[in-house]
Amino acid sequence: MTPRIYRTLQALILAGLGVFLLEKIWSGTLYWYISNRFLLLTLLAALGFLILAQNILPRRRPAGAQPEHEHAEADHDHDHGEAAPAWGLFVVALPVILGLLVPARPLGAAAIANKGVNTSAPLVAGGGQTTKLDIAPADRNILDWIRAFNYASDPTTLNDQPADVIGFVYQDSRLGTGEFLVGRFAINCCVADALAIGMVVQWPEAASLAANSWVHVRGPVEASTANGQRIPLIKAESVESVPPPSQPYLYP
Amino acid sequence: MTRLTRPVVIFGFAFALVAAWLAVTLIGANTTGPLAGFVDRLSTFTTIFLGIFIEAAPFLLLGTLGSGLVEVFFNKDDLNRLIPRTPLAGAIVGGLMGLFFPVCECGVVPLTRRLFKKGLPLSVGVSFLLAAPVMNPIVIASTLAAFGVGPVLFLRLGLTLLIAVITGLVFARQTHPERLLNATAWAEISGGSIDSPPLSAKQTGEGPGVGIFARPSLREGLPRVLTIAADEFFEMGRYLIIGSLLASFMQTVVPQSALLAVSSGPVISVLAMITLAVILSVCSTVDAFIALAFAGTFTTGSVLAFLVFGPMVDLKSTIMFLRVFNRKAVVYLILLPLAMTILFSVFINLNTTW
Repeated sequence: MTPRIYRTLQALILAGLGVFLLEKIWSGTLYWYISNRFLLLTLLAALGFLILAQNILPRRRPAGAQPEHEHAEADHDHDHGEAAPAWGLFVVALPVILGLLVPARPLGAAAIANKGVNTSAPLVAGGGQTTKLDIAPADRNILDWIRAFNYASDPTTLNDQPADVIGFVYQDSRLGTGEFLVGRFAINCCVADALAIGMVVQWPEAASLAANSWVHVRGPVEASTANGQRIPLIKAESVESVPPPSQPYLYP
Repeated sequence: MTRLTRPVVIFGFAFALVAAWLAVTLIGANTTGPLAGFVDRLSTFTTIFLGIFIEAAPFLLLGTLGSGLVEVFFNKDDLNRLIPRTPLAGAIVGGLMGLFFPVCECGVVPLTRRLFKKGLPLSVGVSFLLAAPVMNPIVIASTLAAFGVGPVLFLRLGLTLLIAVITGLVFARQTHPERLLNATAWAEISGGSIDSPPLSAKQTGEGPGVGIFARPSLREGLPRVLTIAADEFFEMGRYLIIGSLLASFMQTVVPQSALLAVSSGPVISVLAMITLAVILSVCSTVDAFIALAFAGTFTTGSVLAFLVFGPMVDLKSTIMFLRVFNRKAVVYLILLPLAMTILFSVFINLNTTW
């Protein structure tokens, strides 16, 4: 591979990475991969990739003499052409290739098989312990509910408060008939540290719900225990199918 | 690659990609088929991989830019002036250098390699490599935000520095440091101190590291910084990506619930958190927030082990070590910090009550 072709490929891949990140930001699917506090950093990285690409893209050679440092760069290229083989280019292009080939999807019930699900996770990161109890019951998400039950001195005081949560359906084999888990992934920084959390829902038609579909569950909560830990349980009055939310994860 | 095989390989890649794409689209459309489980796994794997990559990419870019800046605007004499001459002082300075080069564990690797090329002594570089992902303003701030001023913050910084300096001193005892480095990473590096005579006879006279150094102006230097950063990104990026693939593969295969189940034993909890740190491979700038999630249930020693060992050794950064050191040195770079982390963390678990 001549240095010129090598440089052009490098520039294309870098530009591809930059455009890939920008597309993720633009379409809002960046949040399927990473916490929203990385938005600015990701944007800067995308611009960085584009600047690097622009810088190394070989210029059309002027008819006359070459500038001094252009020549030095060409020599430099040759060294690297040998040090970094073609498979290296392919590997660096992999994020874009995999991103295009595999249909993008946020983590859902299917990922629980590996990550496990928590119904009383000690996800205390961020957020004061008492403030979670200040949120109006109807505004609490699954994470808020689990925390509320963890920190309430007497969880039975929360009984009959109305829950109104959105999550994916997870059919856990440990649950009885007429029960399913409504789950979300909680994320601190990126999906690598995602923890699945869920609330048990009592719903007569639980078995008919498609796994990994998203549902909106409404109904009063009740304090319950599982494996010696206090967990909230929803006695569902309604379970409606809904489209996946634009922010699939919860941030502690 | 010979002239004949290259097109074959390229066509092979292209064919495999098209076939994979067709397979995924066809199976993806028919999610009830027997391969639906595979598609789910592939999709989970890809999501986690892209998550790790998108999170690490800005930090690797920062490291490669730092590497470019060092190459263009820094010369050997600057290093000679700044690095103390005794191994111990050198290793301590190496451990604290991160305070001025704020990089995490992805960015530190290209920077260390570049500094080795500029003649940084091995012990200083090793200590820098291990400590910088924690001993830097960003990570100190995030640990402070997560844990507040307290034993976790001080022990994280203290243990990291201690382990990095000890490992650096072990490397300083090497009489042939150039044998531990990957061929692409050595110039004429010296032993434990910058005083000892150059061990390699490689005097190519190329680059500003050798011979008379004229510091370029910003306008001249910047395009070169960017070119070096791009090259460095391709060199290190492929190792980062292979490491991220490995980490996301482990995450889709190893059930984490099993790891999280062992939270109380003084030894087993430490081992569980170390394993978790290695396979999660999250950036040191954010790992404090993740550790905080475990602080309630896991032993303090194990949370510290996560915070100390994770930034030194994880799947994605350790694979990049192979670009700087040879295999034997990489094994030492993993085992020495591992042994010390386990020792200190278990000691803390057995001797403290918080």
